[in-house]
Amino acid sequence: MKHSVNRPPTPDAAEDQGKEPTLQEIINIKLIESGEKERLMELLRERLIDCGWKDEMKALCRAHVKKKGRTNVTVDDLVHLITPKGRASVPDSVKAELLQRIRTFLMSAAL
Amino acid sequence: MCARNSIYTTPKPCKHLADYKLRHGFNTYYSIRICLKTTPNGRTRVAKHTTKIPRCSFCDRYQGRLYFCLMCSSLWCPTHILLHTQSEKGHEVAIDMNRSELYCCLCCDQVYDPDFDKVVVCNQVKDLPGGSKSKTNGFEACGERSSKRKRLDSGIGLDLKKSKLLVSMRDRRAKSCYPLGLRGLNNLGSTCFMNSVLQALLHAPPLRNYFLNDRHNSIQCRKRSGEKLCLLCDIDAISSAMFSGDRTPYTPAHFLYSWWQHSSNLASYEEQDAHEFFISVLDGIHEMESKIRNSGKDDGDCQCIAHRAFSGLLRSDVTCISCGFTSTTYDPCVDISLNMDTSNLSSSNANKPIKPDEKTGASTLSGCLNLFTRAERLGSDQKLHCQNCQELRDSSKQLSIRRLPLVLCLHIKRVEHSLVRKISRKINQYMQFPFSLDMTPYLSSSIVRSKFGNRIFTFEYDNSNSSAAYEIFAVIAHSGMLESGHYVTYLRLKNQWYKCDDAWISEVDEGIVRASQCYMLFYVQKLLYNEAIEDSSFVHISPRRDPFDSTAGCS
Repeated sequence: MKHSVNRPPTPDAAEDQGKEPTLQEIINIKLIESGEKERLMELLRERLIDCGWKDEMKALCRAHVKKKGRTNVTVDDLVHLITPKGRASVPDSVKAELLQRIRTFLMSAAL
Repeated sequence: MCARNSIYTTPKPCKHLADYKLRHGFNTYYSIRICLKTTPNGRTRVAKHTTKIPRCSFCDRYQGRLYFCLMCSSLWCPTHILLHTQSEKGHEVAIDMNRSELYCCLCCDQVYDPDFDKVVVCNQVKDLPGGSKSKTNGFEACGERSSKRKRLDSGIGLDLKKSKLLVSMRDRRAKSCYPLGLRGLNNLGSTCFMNSVLQALLHAPPLRNYFLNDRHNSIQCRKRSGEKLCLLCDIDAISSAMFSGDRTPYTPAHFLYSWWQHSSNLASYEEQDAHEFFISVLDGIHEMESKIRNSGKDDGDCQCIAHRAFSGLLRSDVTCISCGFTSTTYDPCVDISLNMDTSNLSSSNANKPIKPDEKTGASTLSGCLNLFTRAERLGSDQKLHCQNCQELRDSSKQLSIRRLPLVLCLHIKRVEHSLVRKISRKINQYMQFPFSLDMTPYLSSSIVRSKFGNRIFTFEYDNSNSSAAYEIFAVIAHSGMLESGHYVTYLRLKNQWYKCDDAWISEVDEGIVRASQCYMLFYVQKLLYNEAIEDSSFVHISPRRDPFDSTAGCS
């Protein structure tokens, strides 16, 4: 019975499969836990509205729906349509700003 | 919260959602409530797993869209959710975790259910600070709005039959080619700012009718107040002169004198700003009527003709970025001053691909209105005290229109102040504007609704009437520089545009009006506009029919 007390703790699923969390995942977890990810998302939303990116995507979606007909378009269609164009047209200034914010966060988190 | 027919058409649920509801009712909706988490900006997320990051049960993806199955709370990415639905019968409906919106796995599309939205919205309202107690989140008492609206709509009295009698007798005298009421105004020394605003005011349906119906009687006014100077009497005199049928340019000298007495700080022969003049005239009218009626009512309820025609109500929501507490205030206004939407036109987005349908470099009225009603994050030097956090916090402010006026005056701010160079510059950028304007997206009901995300839940506030539809009737255009420029007014009478350039009136094509550099735009509610057109006492004869008819001021 005493033997059971010294039993090692039950490994959880990730370790069982031998998966090491990648650096990306670690950063992501840190961002979410501290609430910084939510703030960054909010900032990103603001910037993308400011520079007209949201309006552009809206216009693309509208044009597509007009072409295909309202009842023939699903959310998935629209997502597949605008994802490549959306990713490509994010302004460099927005990317730079967010990168800077993440860098600052990481430096403060590491301390 | 009462349900009412709203202008938003409720999309029909897909077969799968309908089946699901038949089987489970609202049970799963309510059980989701504990998982819903509201962030300060008003968005609602599904946040069940607080310890680990949400991942797709098949591929472990944690980025992008994730769906939360309503039946078993498992998580799936869009690619693999179909696997789940195929293996488990009855698990067809899921929620988009980040947006709290329903998704049908079999249709692969977003679906809508007012009952679901109701649950989400109630939760949001409850969660936001000050939500359940205060009325500031848009959930106000039912009857309030309709009674106020009644007061504004009636009383302007389109008693056109009476005015026809006043006008038709003099009609015979004028061998006129233009509709009644069009008459040039002489420039008394850089007074084009005054002439242009007077033209717009006198043709605003509520004011035009007010004066034509003799609602301000000069004789009685002088007897009553004993004052020698009354702005309303002077405007009444100009109105009578305009509608007299006489086409020779009129000289509004007495009005100018009265106005100088009222606004002595602006009394000079220098050119003034038309918008400033507009505000001061409305103010003068209000003062006069308050004296007559001895009432000191504030702008919101005032019954003077200036406020009955132009007064609207603006709503301002200031939200604390940290906790989400929103404080709402209402302010009356007689016009809306808009900044121009020139920020989208800068070439800072260098690597953007060329857009297929959009005109590059065009500033539009809807762009300006969007800018006006956009949530603006106040700078960190403008921190406000948050009642909930009890300290100074960063906040965001959003304006919207709580109540629209009968006559909507939009002022386009064309002056740019440069703090660096300490000069003011005029913005000559062309701005496109429509002749028919729908103000629905800028109403408080629309703006407040959009804070809750993509919902079809009916809000109490929804104006299910058409009083957000406006028609343009006057445009004041400015040309030239800040110090030395010229104002002209374009008037739309019975679908024909006329240019009023001081003493000179001419018929113009609508293209000219569209191409002009607008400074002030005057819209009137569509119902009033249509009534004004139907009045048959104004018979329009084209000038081309009568070539030998030459009347001064009519070119």
